[in-house]
Parts: sequence; structure tokens; C-alpha cells
Amino acid sequence: MESWNRRAKLAVAVLVGFAAIVASAQTRKEMKFNVGPGASLTISNDFGPVTVHTMAGSQVLAVATLHSDQMEVDQTRSGSRVELFTHALQQRPTGDAARVEFDVTVPPDCNVTVHSSPGPIVIEKVRGDVTADGENANIDVRDVGNGHVHLRTLKGNVTIANVSNGHVEVTSVSGPVKMSDVSGPSVEVNTTNGKISYSGMFSNNGDYVLTTHSGDIEVLLPANASIDVSARSVNGKVENDFPFQPKQHNPFPVTSGRAFAGTSNSGSSGVQLRSFSGTIRVKKQ
Amino acid sequence: MTCAEFQRVLPYIIDAGGDAGQEQHLRECAVCADLVADLRYIADQAKLLVPMEDPSPRVWEGLQKSLEREGLVKSAPARRSLLGLPLRDLGWVAAGAAVVVLLAGIFFTRNTTSADQPKTTVAMESPATGPANAEDQQILDTVAQLSPDVRDSYRQGLRDVNTYIQDAERSVKEDPNDQGARQLLMQAYQQKAMLYQMATRSGE
Repeated sequence: MESWNRRAKLAVAVLVGFAAIVASAQTRKEMKFNVGPGASLTISNDFGPVTVHTMAGSQVLAVATLHSDQMEVDQTRSGSRVELFTHALQQRPTGDAARVEFDVTVPPDCNVTVHSSPGPIVIEKVRGDVTADGENANIDVRDVGNGHVHLRTLKGNVTIANVSNGHVEVTSVSGPVKMSDVSGPSVEVNTTNGKISYSGMFSNNGDYVLTTHSGDIEVLLPANASIDVSARSVNGKVENDFPFQPKQHNPFPVTSGRAFAGTSNSGSSGVQLRSFSGTIRVKKQ
Repeated sequence: MTCAEFQRVLPYIIDAGGDAGQEQHLRECAVCADLVADLRYIADQAKLLVPMEDPSPRVWEGLQKSLEREGLVKSAPARRSLLGLPLRDLGWVAAGAAVVVLLAGIFFTRNTTSADQPKTTVAMESPATGPANAEDQQILDTVAQLSPDVRDSYRQGLRDVNTYIQDAERSVKEDPNDQGARQLLMQAYQQKAMLYQMATRSGE
């Protein structure tokens, strides 16, 4: 029994020591910038994730965790414009040694731009403009509003939730785009074959345009949504189980199974659903 | 009128005659009158000259032999010909033929070579999945130094977007008045533009 206790303690000590060794190879770099209203922050990090959240105040606080001393973070500051750029000191290291993670806190009205090829990119509670792109990055934007939201990816998953009063523009080639409670004067999503999902009210008296080449479009509508909708798939099909009122005048021939148009309640917002060969489904929530 | 003034205008009046003052000087001045008479005589004789004819070949042969006897010239080598053409002319013909043969050889060799050699620079697949063009290849070259998974994303993305553009263009061609089709085409081009922009940024 005593030998087992001794061995257990020895194993724990070895594990703790190993963790300490690993942690010591990482470098944590803290950067603080005092900024004015409407500040802008740009982060270019093609070596790992970037997370941005907000805190009241007038400071940008960026914490970069570098997994090796072969990587470096450069910073540029001009007034209230801050730029952070990650690069390899010499030849790009492989594996975990190249990894750099960012965790950033900004004032709520800060305009945020993030480039990260691998991602993931997470941005929340920002009230300024949000721009994020990454070829393979999963992009997660939530609780933002009152600004422009521009998201671009080739095959990453895009998730947008709880966006109010926003000008939203999302472009993805094959990555799916999932939106819930996204509203604003203008919401435009364009994919080649990524699936587009939307659940929410389409509120704000806005214009919503969801377009895809061969991906599917799925819309989940509550009964009290007030929209003027037109849906058309050139070579695919259209399915609808929402009780729209038919429109007298349509921008295109309403062919059963390929297109439909209608109005719900007072038709405050305009919604266009377009696909070349994908399936468009509108369902009642 | 003085003699200097008269002789200044003489070339212009020798055939047609002068005005009253110039004719009066010609009547009154013996020197200018003799000058005008001599000039008119020369002009008349010049009109009577008859062109000379070439002498016959025997004349030239006689001259040649006389010059050779005197040792002033060497006898010319006997002329040789082939196929009715002097050899010096055949030299040019041979040179021209050689040039023609050379050019023909280059032409046929080039055509044979290009047909046999496989294309090594195309990085995208058949037109059925969306053909690549020179600009697409430039994009792929731009991202060539990025990680393999990113390169694959661009390659696949370009294929998919090119197919999108093809389908949309076909749709517009079938019905140019179809606003929905034109919208889809514009969206397809925006997808392509996004690919180019992101590749350019990543390649920097």
C-alpha cells in the first residue's frame, strides 16, 4: 500500500514537472494601448486562433501566446490605430512551434479586423465594424451590431448570432454559413456550394439576399415574421410550408417546385433566396 | 536698261522674247545682240543631235582581243553553266533551297515536339469541372508557398467558382432578360474576386 502511494506521488510529480517544462517553452506577450473613441485594431495572425471580446474603457489589451522563440509579434501604433502582425523570425517552424494564439480585449466601439488563415476567429460584443477572413478559418461572430460585418472564407464554418442593426456581408466558397437572429438594413450572404441557414425574424425593415450556386438554403421563420419573400432555384427545387400570401406581381415566373413568392404579415423586410442548383427550404418555426 | 539688267533676265526671254524695253536694248546693244545670237545657235544645234546606237558584239570582241594582245587585260575565263543557268546563279539557287529546307525542318520539328510533349504547367483539371485560365494559374503560383491545406483550398475553390461562373453565364445566355440569372452571374464573379483578393493578401 505504501509503495502504491509512493508511486502515485512520484507520477504526479513527474507530470507536474513535465507540464512546467512545456509551459516554459511558451512565451506570453502582453501589449497595452490607450486609444480614443472609434479606435481600430488589425490583427494578422496566420499561425493560430484569434479571440476578441470587449471591456468598457479606452484600452486595447492584447495577449499573444507564442509556442516557441522562433515566432515574433510586431506591433504598430499610430494614434488610435493599432496593428499586430505575427511572423517567423527565420524559416517558418513546423508543428506546434509555429503556433501563436491571440486573446484581445477592446473597447466596445472599436473597429476590429482579423486575418487568420487557419483560425478559428471569435469576435463578440463589438459595436464597431467587424472584418474577418481566413481561408480555412472557422469564424464565429456574436452579439455585435450597429456596424458593418464583413466575413470571408474559402471553406471555414461561419456562425453569426445575435446581430442587430448591422450591414452584414458574408462570402464563402464551400464553408457553411449559419445565422440566427441576424438583422439589419442589409444582410447579404453568397456561397458557391456552402449551405446557408437562417433562423430569425428578418427584422429591421431590411434587405436580405441569400445566394448560392449549388449549396442549399434553409430558412426557419417564426409566424410573426414580416417579410416579402421571393425564392427561386434555376435547376434545383424549392420547398415551402410557411403560409405566405401570394403576390400579384412577381419578378420572375412562379414555377411550382422551382420558385415561389409571397408576403407574411405586412412584408416589412425584403428577402431574396436564390440558388442555381441547390434546394431552398422555408419552414415555419 | 543696262547690259547687266538685260543679261539678268535673258534666260527667261531667249525663247519667247522680251518686252519693249528689253527688245529696244537688244537692237541698240551689239554685245547683248551677239550674245543672244550665239545662245540661240547653240540651242538649235542641240535639238539636232541624234542618239548613238550600241556597236555590234563583234566590235566589243575586237576591242577585247586588241587589249589582250597589248597585255592590258587578261583573257576572261570560259563561262560554265548547268541546266542552262550560270554556276554563279546556281549558287544563289542552292542557298535559297537550303534556307527553304531549313525552315521546313524547323516547322515540322516544332509541330511534332509540341504534340508529343505533355503539358506540365497546368495545375487544374478538365473543363468539365471549371477550366483554369492564366489568371487562375497566377493565383495558384501566388499561394504556392503557403501551407498545403491552404493551397488545396484555393485549388478546389477556383474549380468550384469557375463552374459557378460557367453555369451562370450559360443561364444568362439562354435568357439575357432574366434578372435572376444576371444576379447569379454577378455573385459568381464576386466569389472569384474574393478568391483573388484573399490570395493576393496571403501571398504578400
